[in-house]
Amino acid sequence: MGGAERTARRRRQQQASGARNAVASARSNKPDRIKLVVGAVLAVLIAAFVVGGVLLTNASKKETEERGVAVAQSAADYPVRRDGGVVVAGKDDAKVTLDVYEDFLCPGCGSFEKRDSDTIEQKLTAGTLRIRYHMLPMLNNLSDPPGYSLDAANAALAAADAGRFPAFHKSLFADQPVEGGRGWSDDQLIALGAKLGISSSDFADAVRTGRHDSLVRDVFRKAGETPHLQADNNGQKVFVGTPTIANGTTVLDIGDPGWLTALTG
Amino acid sequence: MASVASTSVRTTRALDAAGTLIRFGLAAVWLVSGWLKASDPNQTYVAVQAFDVLPPAMVGTVAAAIPFLELALGVLLVAGFATRPVGVMSAVLLLGFVAAVAQAWARGLSIDCGCFGGGGAVADGDTRYPQEIARDIGFLALAGWLIVRPRTLFAVDGRFAGRVEVEEEPTGGRSGTHGA
Repeated sequence: MGGAERTARRRRQQQASGARNAVASARSNKPDRIKLVVGAVLAVLIAAFVVGGVLLTNASKKETEERGVAVAQSAADYPVRRDGGVVVAGKDDAKVTLDVYEDFLCPGCGSFEKRDSDTIEQKLTAGTLRIRYHMLPMLNNLSDPPGYSLDAANAALAAADAGRFPAFHKSLFADQPVEGGRGWSDDQLIALGAKLGISSSDFADAVRTGRHDSLVRDVFRKAGETPHLQADNNGQKVFVGTPTIANGTTVLDIGDPGWLTALTG
Repeated sequence: MASVASTSVRTTRALDAAGTLIRFGLAAVWLVSGWLKASDPNQTYVAVQAFDVLPPAMVGTVAAAIPFLELALGVLLVAGFATRPVGVMSAVLLLGFVAAVAQAWARGLSIDCGCFGGGGAVADGDTRYPQEIARDIGFLALAGWLIVRPRTLFAVDGRFAGRVEVEEEPTGGRSGTHGA
């Protein structure tokens, strides 16, 4: 309804109400108009503020859009193979085999990898340690847009097929996206692979199509059903979370930085 | 007659002063909580997602909008502009927060509301749902006062209300609750 139309309607109403209401209508008319103006100003102010804020926020959250994943080189010299949705690293005759459960978006996993990945690499190379990496899409909804955890885990399995898992896995944790922010896109994951020497189109294809997505989801589901990985939450059993490192059916306390050396010697 | 009038004037002044404190108090709540959320948008996203009520595609927009809606309400309350409508909007937003916290509590989620920054999943023993809801109900009471009695001092509204009162003075006198 246009302003002119509104004014005309009000004039008609005033005429119809007649002289007996003239005093009352003169008194109530002004506050009405003030209310209308105030309401309009209010709506415009709030809308402008909120829309501006949303645009500003969205622009500020795209830090990972401007650049690629930084490469963290790995001195890995140990066998790596993909076993379904799990990546097995290290020699099969190692005296200790650990199950590592982590999510590429989980900040605690990033801290764990940054602190311990060099030690782990040494022991994998020395043949004293073997690790089964379970990469879970636990925080899949916590990237904006959602889906990074699953995309990264799928890409890591594809990188294992392409023989570049150690450096790929290490780079994603060394240059980890922030929880709640934008993750790395498929194209950026493919570019990381290329920088690490994966030239096959098969890798790019696996990343884009989410070839291993269902394997990743299966690994997560299995972790959620494994008895020794459950914690008690008000009487309900829930998955303990990431990062979790298990030696057989024992969940390890990794608070002390010397935990691994204490285990493998 | 004169003493009755002066008593009511005194009461009106006291209520105006109380309302003014309440208006600035609620303004401070919105400005602080809005600022803490706006300055850490990633964490705010995590906090909103943790309530697990919105479809994933909407979390980003809502998480980006809420801090600035809070800041807008805070600025408007400082100015004392449209105090009653802003009070209504504050109450609606607070009721939404209470509902969100209540559903998280009822479903047994373990989260921090992120009401003043932070937020997201917490350990099972670290939830504070009763305190969070009680705090929001306290803020609701502030908003309720401003809805019932939006007249305050140092308000942009006062300029509009003042003009209206001058016009109405000969016929009716003041009701003391002129809104915007």
